[in-house]
Amino acid sequence: MTKFPNSRTTERAPHQSLCPQSRFSVSSVLRFSLRAVTLATILAISAAQPAKAQDTPRGKALGKRVLCRCGGCEDSAGLCNHPGGTFSGPCETARGMQKDLDAHVTRGESDDQILQAMVEQYGPTVLVEPPKKGFDLLAWIMPIAVPLIALVLVWEVVRRWRHNATLAPAGGPQVSAEFLARARQEANREPGLEHDE
Amino acid sequence: MDILGSFALLLAFLAAVYAVLAGIAGIITRRTLLTKSARNAGMAVFVLVTIAVGCLEYFFFTNDFSIVYVVEHSNRALPGFYKFAALWAGQEGSLLFWSWLLSIYAFLVLFLNRKRHPELMPYVGVVLAGIQTFFLTLNNFVATPFRVLAGPDGTGVMHLAKMSEGHGLTPLLQYPEMVIHPPMLYLGYTGFSVPFAFALAALLGRYPGEKWIHITRRWTMIAWCFQSVGILLGAHWAYAMLGWGGYWAWDPVENASLLPWITGTAFLHSVMMQEKRGMMKIWNVWLVFTTFMLCILGTMLTRSGVVSSVHAFAQSSIGSWFVGFLIITFVVCFAAYWKNRDYLRSDNQLDSLVSRESSFLFNNLILLAACFAVLWGTLFPVLSEWVKGSKISVGAPFFNKVNVPIALFLLLLTGVGPLLAWRKTSFDALKRNFAWPFAGGLLAGVIGFIWSFRDIYSLLCLILGVFVTLTIASEFFRGAHVISARDGTNIFTSMGELTMRNTRRYGGYVIHFGMVLIFIGIAGTPFNKDLQKEMGVGESLRIGPYTILCQNFDHLDNANYESDRATLEVFKNGRSDMMLFPERRLFKASQVTETMVAIQSSPLRDLYVVYAGQSPESGRPVIHAYLLPLIKWIWFGGIVVVLGTGLALLPNRRTVLVLRPATERSWADTLAESAPAIGAVARRVEGHD
Repeated sequence: MTKFPNSRTTERAPHQSLCPQSRFSVSSVLRFSLRAVTLATILAISAAQPAKAQDTPRGKALGKRVLCRCGGCEDSAGLCNHPGGTFSGPCETARGMQKDLDAHVTRGESDDQILQAMVEQYGPTVLVEPPKKGFDLLAWIMPIAVPLIALVLVWEVVRRWRHNATLAPAGGPQVSAEFLARARQEANREPGLEHDE
Repeated sequence: MDILGSFALLLAFLAAVYAVLAGIAGIITRRTLLTKSARNAGMAVFVLVTIAVGCLEYFFFTNDFSIVYVVEHSNRALPGFYKFAALWAGQEGSLLFWSWLLSIYAFLVLFLNRKRHPELMPYVGVVLAGIQTFFLTLNNFVATPFRVLAGPDGTGVMHLAKMSEGHGLTPLLQYPEMVIHPPMLYLGYTGFSVPFAFALAALLGRYPGEKWIHITRRWTMIAWCFQSVGILLGAHWAYAMLGWGGYWAWDPVENASLLPWITGTAFLHSVMMQEKRGMMKIWNVWLVFTTFMLCILGTMLTRSGVVSSVHAFAQSSIGSWFVGFLIITFVVCFAAYWKNRDYLRSDNQLDSLVSRESSFLFNNLILLAACFAVLWGTLFPVLSEWVKGSKISVGAPFFNKVNVPIALFLLLLTGVGPLLAWRKTSFDALKRNFAWPFAGGLLAGVIGFIWSFRDIYSLLCLILGVFVTLTIASEFFRGAHVISARDGTNIFTSMGELTMRNTRRYGGYVIHFGMVLIFIGIAGTPFNKDLQKEMGVGESLRIGPYTILCQNFDHLDNANYESDRATLEVFKNGRSDMMLFPERRLFKASQVTETMVAIQSSPLRDLYVVYAGQSPESGRPVIHAYLLPLIKWIWFGGIVVVLGTGLALLPNRRTVLVLRPATERSWADTLAESAPAIGAVARRVEGHD
């Protein structure tokens, strides 16, 4: 996935590619959809920012994007919160990871660089989300591609059904004007019975 | 007693096998006696499994710690309430519980229909007994709940030191919701067996018409309602018990319960296409097959030791039994479909793209897209490991990013779909029906934006939520207005009258409204705040409009647990508002500590306070406070959904229908296809329940 112009507008876009020069190519339709989703997410993030800007430093946001490696929780380092146990809060591992992240941030590294460093240290499972490259890109593409393919199929079905409708026009015996008038009147009088049983 | 339990289970297994074999023989030879005997065997399974469940409960209540299952999941001091719930605390008991609930459903189905549908019921009995046989195989031969502790050893002394007291029930499960949540979810899982059995039976027996849908409509709705309640109670348990300020973590087990709920929802909608227009027959059959298979998959993910991680997939022995059963189910379903597919040929016609029909198509498309996205995310780590040989993580942010847009689109359809007419809707009607609700939604959006509801998804959710609510309200008012003008009753009486005339339709609207409330509750999530602080007596912290002052710490003790408790006074705008008592409980039998969250709930926001324990660094007590907007709407929405389902289950008030059966459907429809319509109406009146 190539970097989109609009994903440069914010530092914190979670959709930003971890690998700017990927060899993986996607069809233009999928690229467009991904772009739309990315844009929507960026809008969401930037819209949410004013409320949170003061109390959410970059380190804390990054903490939510890597998993705590203590082995006893399924949380991210930023949200690690061992319910039960001796202390219900971030464990030693999570605090250590958070410290590392903060250190990286003070060194002025970009989000991508920092996450890459975490992957090198802890392996690919450290990332909360699948990376958007290679085989793992499929994780992101399929939830968009499958509904799109389904949409095409539904469209095809609709086209065929409409064709059926024109082949067999609704006809039946002729109806007198009087009957029609009475029918209209009845229909107006009985709410709640128009559509369903 | 353990002999009695084991024996009852074994007999139940034999009865189920007999019900399958005799049922098939009865169908082939067309001998009523065999069919009847198979049915009675099917009903006997219920009695036998009930005896087994009774035995296990007896062991729990008499503290008989010679049974392994009782030792592992109970202890003497456990309150009776939880001893009852300990039945489903572990693998063996849960599977027995599954079996038991299924046998209850099967018994009711067979008993209530014993004099009806003589062509269809034998097939239904065989399918239900087939499912029952699988679970009883597990109960008897794979995970038997009546295993006795190893007998006295050489010295005549029972070993296992803790045996006399039991290990105790997992403290996490010692919470009132945990007594209700699993049964609800299991009633949902097992309940979908009923429409599945009828669908497969109708297909196998080439049973004519849409009758199986009419028969199972209520069963499906009941199963769906249980599933909804089960999911929401689980969410509420996670919220109130785990102390992390959230209610949904997208973990594999939660996802597993959501999948059949989504396809079940799609099924409840798309059957209307078949009932009203005779369309989508193949689709409906496969939708109900899929729902059932997802129920089995869900049970497997929950019950095969896969609870904490999907990566353990292939290592658990019970998992392979489920995989086998899933494969058999799929093969049977596919064979039945392939052999009888001509019977499902339907007359699909679509008059206009802007119609109720196409809105149902999109509804199903969106629901299945959501289902696929959740399933894909849940199983992707396994797939990735197969393909690349290395694991990856798929966490909550992935599911949120993928599913939030899908859910919002679904919310839009909830508003649009019900107002489109069958066959065709004119542009004028569209304008008339949607102009005001849409304007109302936009207005709510503007107000929300000014009132700092500034997150694009939350704002969209608010706009759509108000839009849907207004369309529902306009439907009620429009109908009630006509009735009140004619009968001279006031508008609210008319509204009641309107609802009772078509409970399914208006009950459906109430359910939609409940879903809107749930969506609004979820839309509060981006505005969550939390603060963690070390606090001694006399210190305070500020969060939102609240100031929390630490008054005291004390220690409580009872037979089941010891507890450290903080006493906090909460001030709002400078005035004392309430007292909160978050706790940490150390359960004696299991030696596990759990937090007991203190929650002050209001429609606008929840104040959620956790006593996190002593800081490992300074040794001082730590209080973690959360401010969570709109959460209460989720639980309230759940109640509305249940009420709506109850309403939709009521029979219609039929006085008018008897006099004028043809008014049941739109006169325009009737005119459009006069001659066939008479047949259609007659068929519907006959199948009308």
